[in-house]
Amino acid sequence: MLYYLTKRLGLSALVIGLVVLVLFSLLYFIPGDPATIALGPRATEEAIARYAEKMHLDEPVWRQFLIYIGNALTGDLGLDVFSDRPVTAIILERIGFTLSLVGVGMGWAVLLGIPLGCLAAVRPNSWLDRVTGILSVGTIAVPSFLVSIWALLIFAVHLRWLPAIGAGEPGQVGDQLIHLILPAFAIGLSWVGYLARMVRASMLEVMGENYIRSARAFGLRPRRVIFGYALRVAILPTITLIGMGFGGMISSTVFAEIIFARPGLGKLIFDAVMARNFPIVQGAVLVATGLYVLVVLFSDTLIAWFDPRVRESL
Amino acid sequence: MKQTETTRRGFLGTTAALGAVGLIPSWTTAVFAQTGGTLRLRIGRDNNVLDPGFMTGNSEIEAQKQCLPFLAQYTRDGETFTWEPTYFVTKLEQRDATHIDFELAEGLQWSNGYGPVTASDVKYSYERMKETDWSGYFDALDHVEATSERTGTIVLNKPFAPFIMITLCHGPGAVLSEKAMADAGGKFTTKFPAVCGPYTYEATPGQRAVFSANPDWNGPKPAFERVECNVITEIKAAELAFEAGELGCTRVGADTLARYTKDMPDGAGIAVAGELQYMWMGMNTQHPKLQDIRVRQAIQHAVDVDTILQGAYSGTTAKSYGIICPGLIGQRDSAGYSYDPEKARALLAEAGVSGLELTLRTLNNQERMLTAQIIQANLAAVGITLNVLPLDSGPFWEMGQESKGETWKELELWLMRFGTTPDPYEASQWFTSNQVGVWNWERWTDEEFDRLYEEGINETDPQARHDIYVRMQEIMDNTGAYVWINHEPEAFVHSSGVTVNAAPSGELNYRRFAKG
Repeated sequence: MLYYLTKRLGLSALVIGLVVLVLFSLLYFIPGDPATIALGPRATEEAIARYAEKMHLDEPVWRQFLIYIGNALTGDLGLDVFSDRPVTAIILERIGFTLSLVGVGMGWAVLLGIPLGCLAAVRPNSWLDRVTGILSVGTIAVPSFLVSIWALLIFAVHLRWLPAIGAGEPGQVGDQLIHLILPAFAIGLSWVGYLARMVRASMLEVMGENYIRSARAFGLRPRRVIFGYALRVAILPTITLIGMGFGGMISSTVFAEIIFARPGLGKLIFDAVMARNFPIVQGAVLVATGLYVLVVLFSDTLIAWFDPRVRESL
Repeated sequence: MKQTETTRRGFLGTTAALGAVGLIPSWTTAVFAQTGGTLRLRIGRDNNVLDPGFMTGNSEIEAQKQCLPFLAQYTRDGETFTWEPTYFVTKLEQRDATHIDFELAEGLQWSNGYGPVTASDVKYSYERMKETDWSGYFDALDHVEATSERTGTIVLNKPFAPFIMITLCHGPGAVLSEKAMADAGGKFTTKFPAVCGPYTYEATPGQRAVFSANPDWNGPKPAFERVECNVITEIKAAELAFEAGELGCTRVGADTLARYTKDMPDGAGIAVAGELQYMWMGMNTQHPKLQDIRVRQAIQHAVDVDTILQGAYSGTTAKSYGIICPGLIGQRDSAGYSYDPEKARALLAEAGVSGLELTLRTLNNQERMLTAQIIQANLAAVGITLNVLPLDSGPFWEMGQESKGETWKELELWLMRFGTTPDPYEASQWFTSNQVGVWNWERWTDEEFDRLYEEGINETDPQARHDIYVRMQEIMDNTGAYVWINHEPEAFVHSSGVTVNAAPSGELNYRRFAKG
């Protein structure tokens, strides 16, 4: 297991290293002078000079890269171009909002999707299976930004049951939870379908195994057979999917955070791209990538822990 | 009779359900309440630098207007924008072409114990601006004389008629506390070192900026005790938030303005602050394909601007006849050419040009692309093939600048929009001879234009200034290098319980909002 973990950590570090390289190169691949792009066409020469100095643009590129890497390794992701605030502090202010949104979004999808998949697999070709199938494919097909807009129009604009914008009053947990409902619903909906389909397919495969037949033959209660034996094995590919989904959801939050005007990593990246605030873009994308790699690493480790065949294969 | 049995599970379930139902009204009250003294608005981004010397502008100017003293503010004289003294001064007079006398009102106090607002603060604030990113607004300032604690004179180094309109009324005209600035190290970003105005300011990055009643303020009370400005990047999200009842007022885009004009939401109204954007299609007079003025004039006659206004802007923008925007001295009501495809064909034939192929460069946003496509069709109708080249803002803003590369040599046609302040001087400054290769991408020079530009700065008589700027636009027409398109409005939708006050360039002034 230690060998497996070491290898996985090495791979993760490689991925993050490549992302750092791409992010750094971004600044030089975008056409136009980085200082003019960031500060706007009417920026004064003094402001452009200050920006160039702050971003080390007057240094050779290789040296700029080394400075960037060195600073990033110590947690220093640079300074916001406009406010001069540390990028790390800005990201820390926002990351909690994104993690809570992703957590609640994936949480309700897991709580609904897995039982639905189990039910569909236990009664294949029943009306319940068919309805679940139609709903699953339907929700998978609708992109989260569209769900966000519809949810906003129906529940906030038309019915006025739920708030349309913001993350709630700071310090008021109840208000913040209410503000989470629509965006979490929007980003989680398609994952209900994904998870239900995945669990159904895995369960159907597992339910045909000899040991399940044996368990049934021994007269074990159906609930115990399904949840105690079948689901434990069938859930493995779903854990991988949830891990991958977590990363995908960080991307989905970009739309939800913009549409619902919620603070968060996605909105931070979007705003920074719009303002050509490169240190924020680089820092926030790096943190989002790090999160994604960590979650995938965690889910892979979890599977390896459950299933010895996996850790032997690497 | 059957007796109803109450089980523990049933009791808990019913209680939870009733509790959830009972919570719904409290949610809606908490979220949608706009009663009392709170007004909810939108800002497009965080205010990163509130310091007038190093700000980006827009919502940062809005924040300054609520928390810092200004000597002058915009007002309307009929259809024309002009200025008036603010509450902070009892006198603001232009004594002669280079001297502006002021007297601060009595009893103005800085917060945080920084004492009264003094003429020294005005002197410090304005002289400091000459060393900042906004120094251009203070080029004409020589110095400020503080003649007593509350009186002083702003001394200009040359006659500069627009100084009050473009500098004192605008964001760079904010006054800071000299002592507070010294304590803050001479610069600040997201917290005012001291305020003097009806509101204090506090922001939660990424979420909102809150303006609360300033306990030290003894001036006129604003209509709303508290103003919450939510950070909403996308204008469409803000429009939906307004429709959901969560905002009292928000800026709207051209398509929404058209929709609301046809079908206004209940209890809402539209306010137009100003139309200080001017958009045109420019032509490079030095490009071999466009050197013949008859070709340029043919293009002027070939473009159907009315179709652009309807097709790309849903009829919500004012037709442009030059660089001077509606409400400003020097605005014209006609241009020196009109849509006439026959004349365009005749001019091309006279110039001996056929099979002409040109490239139009534009920023890649929806309205500009639609505009470009309509122009493409218009030019095709007179035998000119037009290729549209959409660009990101980086290369777009550099393409005509000689200091940024060689693209200016290939530049043929482009769609451009500039914003301006409520004085004709600023719009005209980009087209003088010394701006060729900087912002005068059309690359023409005219001695009369340059002379009139200087005269316009020095002249204080409104009628004489009007004549100067009308003539300058005629000169621009005569180059054949411009097709004037439109002036986009700064429009706001607001609930009927709110009367909006905004600068002509669109910055809201919450302290001058009213109820009803």
